[in-house]
Amino acid sequence: MQMEQKLPFSPGRGWAKISRGLINIGLSLYAIVTLYPLFWLFTSAFKTNEEFDSRPFYLPEVWHWDNLSRAWKVSAMGTSLINSTIVTIASLALTLLLGALAAYVLARFQFRLKAFLMGLFLLGMLIPIHSTLVPLFIMLKKVSLLDTYWALILPYTAFELPLAIFVTAAFLTVIPKEIEEAALIDGTGYWGIFFRMMLPLSLPALSTVAILGFLRFWNDFAFALIFISKPALKTVPLSLSVFATGYSTDYKLTMAAMTIAVIPTIVAFLMFQEQIMKGMTAGAVKG
Amino acid sequence: MTTSARIKGFILIGILPALLIYLFFVVVPIFWSAYYGFFDWKGIGAAKFIGFDNYAEVVRDPIFWKGFKNNMLIVAASVFGQVPIAMILALLLTRSNLFQKMIRASVFMPMVLSSVVVGIIWSYIYHPQIGILNFLLDSVGLEHLKKAWLSEPSISMYMIMIPIIWNYIGPYMIIFIAALQNIPSEINDAAQIDGVGSTRKLFQITLPMIWDTIKVVVVLCISGSLKAFDLIYVMTGGGPAHTTEVLASYMYNSTFNVYRFGYGSAISTSIIILSLILILGSQYLMKRDYR
Repeated sequence: MQMEQKLPFSPGRGWAKISRGLINIGLSLYAIVTLYPLFWLFTSAFKTNEEFDSRPFYLPEVWHWDNLSRAWKVSAMGTSLINSTIVTIASLALTLLLGALAAYVLARFQFRLKAFLMGLFLLGMLIPIHSTLVPLFIMLKKVSLLDTYWALILPYTAFELPLAIFVTAAFLTVIPKEIEEAALIDGTGYWGIFFRMMLPLSLPALSTVAILGFLRFWNDFAFALIFISKPALKTVPLSLSVFATGYSTDYKLTMAAMTIAVIPTIVAFLMFQEQIMKGMTAGAVKG
Repeated sequence: MTTSARIKGFILIGILPALLIYLFFVVVPIFWSAYYGFFDWKGIGAAKFIGFDNYAEVVRDPIFWKGFKNNMLIVAASVFGQVPIAMILALLLTRSNLFQKMIRASVFMPMVLSSVVVGIIWSYIYHPQIGILNFLLDSVGLEHLKKAWLSEPSISMYMIMIPIIWNYIGPYMIIFIAALQNIPSEINDAAQIDGVGSTRKLFQITLPMIWDTIKVVVVLCISGSLKAFDLIYVMTGGGPAHTTEVLASYMYNSTFNVYRFGYGSAISTSIIILSLILILGSQYLMKRDYR
């Protein structure tokens, strides 16, 4: 790559080496400061309360793995993990299927209301999610969906659809028309084209949508806070927030519960780093 | 069935499910919220129509404007905190070797955490008894600076800005890196041949080249700052004495703590109007060229 010349400074070679070294040290320090709160979280999860208080900067003297299992039990983490998984998977399935279908229609067909519909979906990306919480609460209450999985699945899907549609449609518009025409001549119907050609072809776009959706649904707090009050239906962020205030003096247990809770997203991040960073950035720019 | 009827049918079935869910859960609530804003309603029992009273109250409500001011402070923190830090990091991280990738990933990492976790971690960092911030001040002999960081009205809002900045630098950094990598290498070569100094190059070549990106990022800061709810709810709930209230938290508190559903709806509608004005206004201003 031609990155070499892009550095904003390029004096003598010795100087360049020294300044590069200093910069790398600075960058490393910055990264350490950024990651420190996480490091503190993970190490505190294995300490005793007394140690948490008196030696916050050190590794635990004895690694208390039982903190994790106790936190799991006390915070009912199992239930909330199951709830979060159900809600996330259902919302993802709906978002991907409906989003891809709508994107296929919007990207490959010409019809009268097309521009209007695109504009309508674009509008959804400008509306701050929180501003619809009160009316949504009232509406969900009226149709008796409060305190059900649907109270989360349907709004999650609705708010993720614009992004899903735009990312997928952008991907589908560049596929040559001929492929589709050939399939039509062969007698494949539109559904066949959608399921056997468009879905597989848009897989890269859909996987970006899926990763972003996973992070958004899994981490959502505001919707869960307002639409869910039954303990049996609480998602991970919601039960964490309750747990943290309810057990506020047993810090190590809260830290342990949070450690369990962040593992799925951190593992996802480590696995799909590039995709997540690019996708979240693209998502932000679109929004 | 004729071909065109088949196409029409497919278009309809293809778009309808997505459209219905979207309309019902995103678009319709906006109108409901404007409508409920005309009522005095406790969430149960009969709603009483009171005309524009709620909206008039919102406009005169000092706490609402306090929340708006705090939202604007968050915008300022993003524009003058996140953007410069993200820019400096991006300028230093345009290479793609392992070291640089690791730094980028670390800067980005907080983005994948639930804001509840972020909020609780930072509440503990600031905690007057067990917090590491006070512990740190103790161990370097600055005991007199120790504070209950989140319950002191004069500083609590600033304390909340730190985790917000910490949390969201990553995406801006990635956007800037992409923009920097798109600058044609000929331009950098030419600058080097002409012997342009590094500071001059930064301000006269690099920054103007990515000016459009900077504009986009500023608009993102504005729309992003309106989303600050989770962290504030977890860390302070808008207190002490409304000092850390933002529009969304005030809406939540008015609706679900004091059960004024009509007033909460009026606040929601005001948030939508204010944010559309801000986002569209900033986009309009940014489109004009100041170079």
